[in-house]
Amino acid sequence: MNQIEILEQLCALPGVAGFEHEAAATVAKYLHPLVNKVDIDSFGTVTGTLICPVAGAKTVLLDAHLDQIGFVVTKVLENGFLRFAPVGGVDPRMLLGCEVTILTQKPIYGIVSCMPPHLLKSSEQEKAVPIHEMLIDTGLSHPQVSVGTPVVFRQPLVELSGGAVASKCLDDRAGILAILQALEQIDRKMLHVNVVAMFSAQEEVTSVGATAGAFRAKPDYAIAVDVSHASTPDAPAGETFDFGGGVMIGMGPNMNTAFAKSLMRTARAHDIAYQIEVMEGNTGTNAWGMQIAGYGTAQAILSIPLRYMHTPVETVKLSDIDATANLIAGFLKDFHGEVYPYA
Amino acid sequence: MLDLLKTLCCMDGPSGAEDVVREFIRSHAAHFADDIRTDAMGNLMVFRKGIKHPAKPVMLCAHMDEVGFIIKRITNEGMLKFGFTGGVDPRVALGRAVRFGQVKGIVGIKAVHLTTASEREHMPKTKDLYIDIGVTSKDEALAKVQPGDYGTFDSDIVEFGDGLLKAKAIDDRFGCAVLLALLRDKPPLDTWFVFTVQEEAGLRGAATAAFALRPDLCLVVEGTTAADLAEVPPHKQVCALGKGAVIPFMDGRTIYDEGLFDMLRQAAETQDIPWQTKHMIAGGTDAGRIHMACAGARTVGLAVPVRYIHSPVSTAALSDMRDVYALARAFLEGIAQSIE
Amino acid sequence: MSKVFELYKTLAAAFGPSGREDGIRETIASIAGNYFDEVTTDALGSLICRKKAVGVPENVRKIMLTAHMDTPGFVVTYIDEHGFLRFAPVGGLFRGDLIHVQVRFANGTRGVVSYEEKPDFKDLQMNNLFIDIGAANKKEAERMVKPGDFAVFDAPSFEQNGMICGPFLDNRIGCAVLLMVMTKLPETVKDDIYFVFTAQEEVGMRGAGPAAFAIEPTMAIAIDVTDTGDLPEQKYPMDCRLGGGPAVKIMDHSVLCAPRIRSALEEASLITGVPIQHEILRDGGTDTAAIQRSGSGVPTGALSIPTRYVHSPSEMCAVRDVEQAAALLTRTLLHTL
Repeated sequence: MNQIEILEQLCALPGVAGFEHEAAATVAKYLHPLVNKVDIDSFGTVTGTLICPVAGAKTVLLDAHLDQIGFVVTKVLENGFLRFAPVGGVDPRMLLGCEVTILTQKPIYGIVSCMPPHLLKSSEQEKAVPIHEMLIDTGLSHPQVSVGTPVVFRQPLVELSGGAVASKCLDDRAGILAILQALEQIDRKMLHVNVVAMFSAQEEVTSVGATAGAFRAKPDYAIAVDVSHASTPDAPAGETFDFGGGVMIGMGPNMNTAFAKSLMRTARAHDIAYQIEVMEGNTGTNAWGMQIAGYGTAQAILSIPLRYMHTPVETVKLSDIDATANLIAGFLKDFHGEVYPYA
Repeated sequence: MLDLLKTLCCMDGPSGAEDVVREFIRSHAAHFADDIRTDAMGNLMVFRKGIKHPAKPVMLCAHMDEVGFIIKRITNEGMLKFGFTGGVDPRVALGRAVRFGQVKGIVGIKAVHLTTASEREHMPKTKDLYIDIGVTSKDEALAKVQPGDYGTFDSDIVEFGDGLLKAKAIDDRFGCAVLLALLRDKPPLDTWFVFTVQEEAGLRGAATAAFALRPDLCLVVEGTTAADLAEVPPHKQVCALGKGAVIPFMDGRTIYDEGLFDMLRQAAETQDIPWQTKHMIAGGTDAGRIHMACAGARTVGLAVPVRYIHSPVSTAALSDMRDVYALARAFLEGIAQSIE
Repeated sequence: MSKVFELYKTLAAAFGPSGREDGIRETIASIAGNYFDEVTTDALGSLICRKKAVGVPENVRKIMLTAHMDTPGFVVTYIDEHGFLRFAPVGGLFRGDLIHVQVRFANGTRGVVSYEEKPDFKDLQMNNLFIDIGAANKKEAERMVKPGDFAVFDAPSFEQNGMICGPFLDNRIGCAVLLMVMTKLPETVKDDIYFVFTAQEEVGMRGAGPAAFAIEPTMAIAIDVTDTGDLPEQKYPMDCRLGGGPAVKIMDHSVLCAPRIRSALEEASLITGVPIQHEILRDGGTDTAAIQRSGSGVPTGALSIPTRYVHSPSEMCAVRDVEQAAALLTRTLLHTL
């Protein structure tokens, strides 16, 4: 399978936060050939462990979250219409007319209804509709749907030009792919550190999957692989990053400075395109919980620049996924378990 | 202890970059310690055997970090766009001197002559602020600083008024000074003196330190906000300078242990140590993490009242500092007494 | 008077705002003591009752059922020169619920909450309110209370039309459910069962995490109250009503419940015929979240009693929902979990 095919399959896995178990089983299969053993915990977090031949070696944890944003059915009305609530941060403005899949045993197709324009006053057309006033149209008179059923966007992967792709849940299936690609480049027998690859549950809501997983794995170092905002014409230039500009290395209190600098040195040594993303507070990623789980870790964040986050058409450049994967692999291959702060 | 405090306040240790402070404290503590540890976050944990040896040592805690800055971007004109690490009121940053190691800068704002009336009514947002280090191009700036560099306010020490001290970072180099002063004598019982990182960033370091040490009992020594300014109604003053050590019963993150609160209060009254409590529920200390760590810990706090906390001109009274120190000693003695 | 109302009245009479739960803890311990092998109190004040399993230790699961025993309240922050008390809320209080309510302190002192007239009524904040204990001046007030003293609502309760109305249904009614399940436990059980009455939930779910950390349960279920969507002109009506049966929580703002706990509760509903509703709460945070993230994670679910006017002095729930919750939970604990 080529890169786009794998990414397409990853993005097709239904894994709304809190409902990751099916996706977990599939992802475990991808991980299996690359590691020594695979576990799935009660949250649906998938963990693969690579044991290096050095006794007493340190452990590096790589984390990308498995869950995606979505919805949950809150009420079944007459005429086959459903009320729903968001799971994770969904922008309501782009939901009208959206195609969705209701994840019943046999999935059902749905459309987020919107009132036709000629029935609205012009002032009503300008206002954003809040989610609790929206409806999903199933077209069925008696849909066999129960309250609490998860719902996802129905948007398959689209190949754009310039080596870019658009799909739902590239946040964070792109991160999962980057980790899988990195593991493929590593020969376990040449490692001087143990590696734990974790695809964690429920990041979009509470990060409980990653926090519990890090608590269990007790790593010395942890790298959260997630996505961050790439620039678009309507977003403030000072707060977004270059699309195609390479892997984003995080700096700030949520990151260990020596670790971040070590990653930068590796990127320069291997000619990997990178950008620096300084975050002065809560980074809003699994890194926030992992850094202080149990005894704590030396924490890093690597992010893939992504446009239109939390929409059905998230967009990334494949070269940025490659840069992320190559940086992880390049770092692990040379890493003996100690980082030095010198620039 | 005052000289120690002044030295500590002059050091730069913003949340996320406490290295200099940690090394100083470690070098001072080494002579008295029976065990010294650090962890992945950068906490410094110092153990000293005491006169009594309970099953679990007691824990004292103060944080090493101060509120500060981190450079986010450098503009083409060589100006630094930045964020605050820890909670800084942006209003006190305007027009202030700052430093990134040896590199000095100022938080610029355009001259009032160039503002409109509506601009003067609103405070700028942090993302609109910039630091000027005197250069005029991005390359010139990059020769001196980098995105990701940490900085602090540039502020000196002034003793003024009736026994007041102005310095940056009294919160919580004061607590560090108290712990170091207590460490010099053999404590009444086995004690962990814990110097945490990143308290201002969200009580971060305390989480991993408490997990490692699993205390049953803990005293957190802090600086707390005093709003005893003219024209502030008494019920909003929180606490006042010169009125003694603050023993809080509750803040935004912790309801302090009732028994330990009473113990401190009684010690203050029997030993004639001036004390007060906080008259507003706000903020939080490392106790917020420690009391909930692992299977839980009984936790209490002591604090020195500080005006203009989290600003370059934070101010405290020397008499209050002595009162907190005395009560911290009394805490250790009281705990030791309750052990057979 | 129904048995549920009787039990609720006993529990509601006990003093126990977050952080000062001694009163309610003693009341519960006196009711529960004889049913358990071990009863302990932890550092934060949670009451942990354990019934040991009979059987092969390696196969024994630890099941934790919890209900928080604390209530919201008030804490005195300042006494002014005229003897009026300034206070801060302990837990989530809504200003609209406080005007001219009566309160009581642990030492029996009574008071009434009122407000400053100067600010616009609609703009009132907590710091514009005060408690009047009828003291002539500061000195007199200081003989009765001091800063750091806690108070709770002092409100009557009644039973009517199969409904209970009164203060602290959140969460003394949850405690009542656990105490009712407790009486249905058989002599010997195959799992290690922990009934935990947690402290300090209302101020941020603080007691549940440390309690769960110490126990390391295999799985857990929290009992609490939840909102309803059956009132006139509600903004975001939930599909949940009084008398519709206990609600199985799917999610709230702080947690996504473990699917297997949810299905165990649903299976028990099918077996017993107890009707259930589903809870999806936009806001809210409960002990469920704190337990779930403790240690290396715990599969956790929740069962909720639909309740109107939560955190007011006059909450309301249906007696039958409470009885059905106890029946459902008992069946789940002993058979479907």
